[in-house]
Amino acid sequence: MKVTVITRSGREIIKGGLDLNHSATVSDLQEAIHRRCKKYYPSRQRITLPVQPGSKERPVVLNPKKKIEDYYDGKSDHLTVIFKDLGPQVSYRTLFFWEYLGPLIIYPIFYYFPVYQYFGFGGERIIHPVQTYALYYWCFHYFKRIMETFFVHRFSHATSPLSNVFRNCAYYWTFGSLIAYYVNHPLYTPVSDLQMKIGFGFGLTCQIANFYCHLILKSLRSPDGSGGYQIPHGFLFNIVTCANYTTEIYQWLGFNIATQTVAGYVFLVVAAFIMTNWALAKHRRLKKLFDGKEGRPKYPRRWVILPPFL
Amino acid sequence: MAGFLSLLRRIYLSVYNWTVFVGWFQVLYLAVKTVRESGHQHVYSAVERPLQLAQTAAILEIFHSLVGLVRSPVSATLPQIASRLYLTWFILWSFPQTQTHILVTSLVISWSITEIIRYSFFGLKEALGFAPSWLLWLRYSTFLLLYPTGISSEVGLIYVALPFIKESEKYCIRMPNKWNFSFDFFYAAILVLGIYVPGSPHLYGYMLGQRKKALSKSKNE
Repeated sequence: MKVTVITRSGREIIKGGLDLNHSATVSDLQEAIHRRCKKYYPSRQRITLPVQPGSKERPVVLNPKKKIEDYYDGKSDHLTVIFKDLGPQVSYRTLFFWEYLGPLIIYPIFYYFPVYQYFGFGGERIIHPVQTYALYYWCFHYFKRIMETFFVHRFSHATSPLSNVFRNCAYYWTFGSLIAYYVNHPLYTPVSDLQMKIGFGFGLTCQIANFYCHLILKSLRSPDGSGGYQIPHGFLFNIVTCANYTTEIYQWLGFNIATQTVAGYVFLVVAAFIMTNWALAKHRRLKKLFDGKEGRPKYPRRWVILPPFL
Repeated sequence: MAGFLSLLRRIYLSVYNWTVFVGWFQVLYLAVKTVRESGHQHVYSAVERPLQLAQTAAILEIFHSLVGLVRSPVSATLPQIASRLYLTWFILWSFPQTQTHILVTSLVISWSITEIIRYSFFGLKEALGFAPSWLLWLRYSTFLLLYPTGISSEVGLIYVALPFIKESEKYCIRMPNKWNFSFDFFYAAILVLGIYVPGSPHLYGYMLGQRKKALSKSKNE
């Protein structure tokens, strides 16, 4: 069959179109485009079906694993697809690794090295026990995240735009530096011993719960990287759609109860805001996918992310 | 009921826009009068009250955007109001040594001309349902000159204020404290100056785009 590849403005990206086998997959199509245009490697391509002009519906994105004929009625011998360049891409593993490496390295710098003299705080520095525990807790957290990135998580998409590397690293590295600055400060004021223990104890429990949530999420997807969405079951997922985000937020709350800095709490609020947006999108997507019709299971009533609020 | 609410909205916005218009008119009048009669050093004390009232009233516009009383998005009004309030209260009012500087005159004149045009434009639209094309032209053309003069005055005054900010330690929070927090108004001011670097061309570019849209639309009508 002949495939015409055009951009959203109607310009033909592949002059003369492509000739493909009837049983060709979308991935084959992407490879063919890549062969004609070296610049557009497959993960950079977004292929969609043409939308009726004036239609408000979101375009159908072609899944690389499926056959092209799955998207057409099979009778046609000439198809048109819409191409969009997603820009340079990096794998999610690369993105996460660089995001998390920053905090892992920056925080100990503030703890171990005499940096505060450059902020005008020379002289003696007494290190409180809470500051040492905070160092261990923080570094363990980001070490855990990196390990999960390489050994646990199964991503719904293989790649993310390169620009996200700069944006995300700015976010993590800036907040990491800010929190590290205040917690390790020579004039840092510790909270009570009891409050510290409660904070770290609670935080650690939530980190363990969070890890278990990630294991459950991993088991929902097959190892061949085909992504896809299933209804999560078990543990906290029976009550909350995004139990992984819930435990992550509470884990930061534990850290802040123990260390008590404005910077830490601001980070908590911003992170919670970001995760809540993700959770709402995921909850909506699952409800739409699992609508109870045509033999599909119906998505059960659950909290989105933070019972009893949302 | 809907018709009544819509009328109420129109009346409220007309009153709001024309009241603030009068405030800014006062600022311009007093500024020009004082510069000619007494010199630029006295401009601030002459315009202080109407300036503070007119500028602070603009906080209501954030509220108007949020509840949907007006069409403009909060994201457009917030940065502008933030920089205006910063200069009015956190620079000029807080550090009196800046008040006699000549940049106060250029600042206040740039701001007041811009606002007089803007508020009369919206005031006419709400009260009469339309605004004359020459006013539309003014609204989307005077910024070409007044944005650079206004922004330069803002940046200049913040810069002039820096030594006084550092010396006075005003608005600074020092450690140690229970919440392990610190704030240095001096470094914050430097950060604000930094924001002007990408912020000004972005805002100017945005206005150029708006100008193109508004003036071509009125040509087609």
